Amino acid sequence: MDRISQDLELYTIPSYSSWFSWNNIHEVERFSLREFFDGSSVTRSPRIYKEYRDFIISKYREDPSRKLTFTEVRKSLVGDISVLLKVFTFLEKWGLINFSVADNSEKNSYEGSARTASFRVEEEEDNWRGRVKVEEGAPYGVRVVAAPNSMKPIIAPPPPPSVAVDGGGFVGEVGESGFKWPPLASYSDVYGELMQQEKKKGSVCGSCKENCDSAHYEYTKEGSFVLCEKCFKSGNYDKTKLADDFKYKDSANQAAAWTDAETLLLLESVLKHGDDWDLVAKNVQTKSKLECISKLIELPFGDLMLGVGNRKSRYLDVIGDISNSRQAGLASNASQESVKAEDQSSELKDKEQSRELTDTDKSPELKDRDQSPELKDKDQSPELKDKDLSSELKDKDQQNGDAKNEGPPLKRLRTGPTSDAGNSLMKQVARISTMLGPHVTASAADAAVTALCYENQCSREVFDDDDNYVDTKASPETSDQKRAAEVDNSVEDEGPNQSEIQGTSSVKSIIPQNLRTRAATATALGAAAANAKLLADQEEREIGQLVATMIEAQLTKLQRKLKYFDDLELIMGKEHAQLEELEESLMEERINVLQRIFTAGITKPKEHTSTTYQTDAIQ
Amino acid sequence: MKSHSPWGTAKNPVKFRMPTADNLVPIRLDIEIDGQRFRDAFIWNPSDPDSEIVVFAKRTVKDLKLPPAFVTQIAQSIQTQLTEFRSYEGQDMYTGEKVVPIKLDLRVNHTLIKDHFLWDLNNFESDPEDFAKTFCKDMGIEDPEVGPAIAIAIREQLYEIAVQNVTSVRESRINKKGRRGFEHIQASKACGNAVDLFKLFGNRSTVVRKRKEWDVYEPIVDLLSNEEVDALEAREERNTR
Repeated sequence: MDRISQDLELYTIPSYSSWFSWNNIHEVERFSLREFFDGSSVTRSPRIYKEYRDFIISKYREDPSRKLTFTEVRKSLVGDISVLLKVFTFLEKWGLINFSVADNSEKNSYEGSARTASFRVEEEEDNWRGRVKVEEGAPYGVRVVAAPNSMKPIIAPPPPPSVAVDGGGFVGEVGESGFKWPPLASYSDVYGELMQQEKKKGSVCGSCKENCDSAHYEYTKEGSFVLCEKCFKSGNYDKTKLADDFKYKDSANQAAAWTDAETLLLLESVLKHGDDWDLVAKNVQTKSKLECISKLIELPFGDLMLGVGNRKSRYLDVIGDISNSRQAGLASNASQESVKAEDQSSELKDKEQSRELTDTDKSPELKDRDQSPELKDKDQSPELKDKDLSSELKDKDQQNGDAKNEGPPLKRLRTGPTSDAGNSLMKQVARISTMLGPHVTASAADAAVTALCYENQCSREVFDDDDNYVDTKASPETSDQKRAAEVDNSVEDEGPNQSEIQGTSSVKSIIPQNLRTRAATATALGAAAANAKLLADQEEREIGQLVATMIEAQLTKLQRKLKYFDDLELIMGKEHAQLEELEESLMEERINVLQRIFTAGITKPKEHTSTTYQTDAIQ
Repeated sequence: MKSHSPWGTAKNPVKFRMPTADNLVPIRLDIEIDGQRFRDAFIWNPSDPDSEIVVFAKRTVKDLKLPPAFVTQIAQSIQTQLTEFRSYEGQDMYTGEKVVPIKLDLRVNHTLIKDHFLWDLNNFESDPEDFAKTFCKDMGIEDPEVGPAIAIAIREQLYEIAVQNVTSVRESRINKKGRRGFEHIQASKACGNAVDLFKLFGNRSTVVRKRKEWDVYEPIVDLLSNEEVDALEAREERNTR
């Protein structure tokens, strides 16, 4: 037959309609359209129903891509129009017609190409062999296929209509299977860039494009240009750059080697010795004083340690904080930077307060600061920190010099740790800066500025210029200038005069303010995030515990029940035994009775017959 | 398949009601006062209290800004039709096995509709509104007044046929004193042009119509232009006068 040899038609019907078959009438149909099957009218009979149904479906399949309307079919069918409508709705609801055109144009275009329908309506059912094969695959939409490797439908249709609903309503949108939640972003997704950036800075050589993790040369005129040692020595770089302009930076070993044990030692010694960095360094034998300080700054809430070093009463809090913060992810640069930002602000605050106290000479302090170039454990952060610090200090510097004083005088000033955020951020920054040594503050400032600066070039410039100003003012040695200038893409200012500097600094003070407030907000958010994570972990643990108790309770319940049942069984067994005994005794009694009867010579049946005999005789 | 004998099965009479799922009465108004003409058609629920009629009339007059004389006229007209409907309600209705052709030939604003289909009087679950809704959707009619107009037209025809059933039953009862016989054959043939069920739904034929008949039963929907509308309106007015 021609039809068979052709490609078999592909008609899609939903899997919940797989009961459908051309040759039979299924229970679903009988139930939903029972008026055809109860003999209530001559106009409705199973045969008539089947004709209606077959006609409608065939009509639809003449062109499956267009939506078949009721009006089209009803003109061709004889019968009560309401009943016809009912049949039509029923078929549509079960997806036997108008299934593929439901509404997705996407679906249409996808499936339209697969059809080459050229089917003709035939009135004799025998000839029509509808090959409706339902392929189990997707839960709802299925494809009727001839070939085994066919496409699967993309979209899941709505859940199957219940049989109880009589033909009412259409099958509805065959739409997307619901709303998909966006994948949860992980911390590393969001902060991944941040982390990478931090690590990547300055570690790729400009000319040979290799990672130069060890000592490398940084070009003073452009802070981002780095040469590895080999290239520098071999002169393998752009000749427009002079050898003098490169500054040697040893980014080697310092940052890499803080093991947990060392950190622990550091913290303990800080607690014990407070600000006395020499002692601290001695305790943590493997690290120098500066390294200790910078590491402490980098730890989240490291400044807390310092503030608390002199107050043993808050020991526990701080240890708790530190360990928590460690858990929360020392890798969380956000909170780190936020701490730095806090440092900044508290530095400022402290500066204000400690103004009176810091009468000691400016220059040694500044010289200390100048020493901070050695603290180049992390990329360019020391320089940046220095700059930032100095930018904040500029106000104070104008007045009386520098607010940083190590040692005892500061102890007077020390208020609580940064937890009293009620005070203004600036004050806190000032306070902290007084507590810390210059290099620590410098590192803190640097890290803070790093966070701000890498998104925003202009902020760099802002800070750079400030740095320039301060450095030149503080110690007009060329070495300082070099050091300051080499860090970023700021232009060197060789010897600006005081007034200019002062002028610019006051102007500049406005700009960084904004950045600082931003940094402050970043602080808050970071801290909140860390806290939230801790809380979440705690909650999880609690939940786990509770679940465990619940399970235990359930188990004990079950056990008790089992025990109860066992007891019941025992009782039953005993009763059974008792009953058996009773039975036996009864049997015995019966036997006894029977025996006595027999011995007495009377048998039961005979008794019976004798009576009848008697009655006969009477008659 | 069982062989059906529609005339043999004596159907129990049903209390008169609209042969649709909901027992709603079509009301048509056509009132003229002082040269002003008010025409309307709608469905009324006969179980509503009659007090509603006046309320409705007043509201209609107010909404359409008609002269107040209309109120009483409207109310009266509605009342009359309702009373008529109610007078049949107590009586019996022999519907028998009846599938009647319904013809639609109406104009609603700019839409002209002609249609022809079958309706089963026995089907007390039929819903003209449902049909009208599907009709408008399939034919893509956007005018929201068309659907209800279709439904009302259907209802009116059904109502008429139902009424005829009742009256003929009444008449035939009176006549029954004289003779026996299958009165309802006469009745059914007399009114509604009932479809010959036996022929159509019997075993030997198919319910699928012949193609040449498809046109007869196909709906025709025309959108008229303004001039045509005016012309038709003028003609209608002339006819009614």
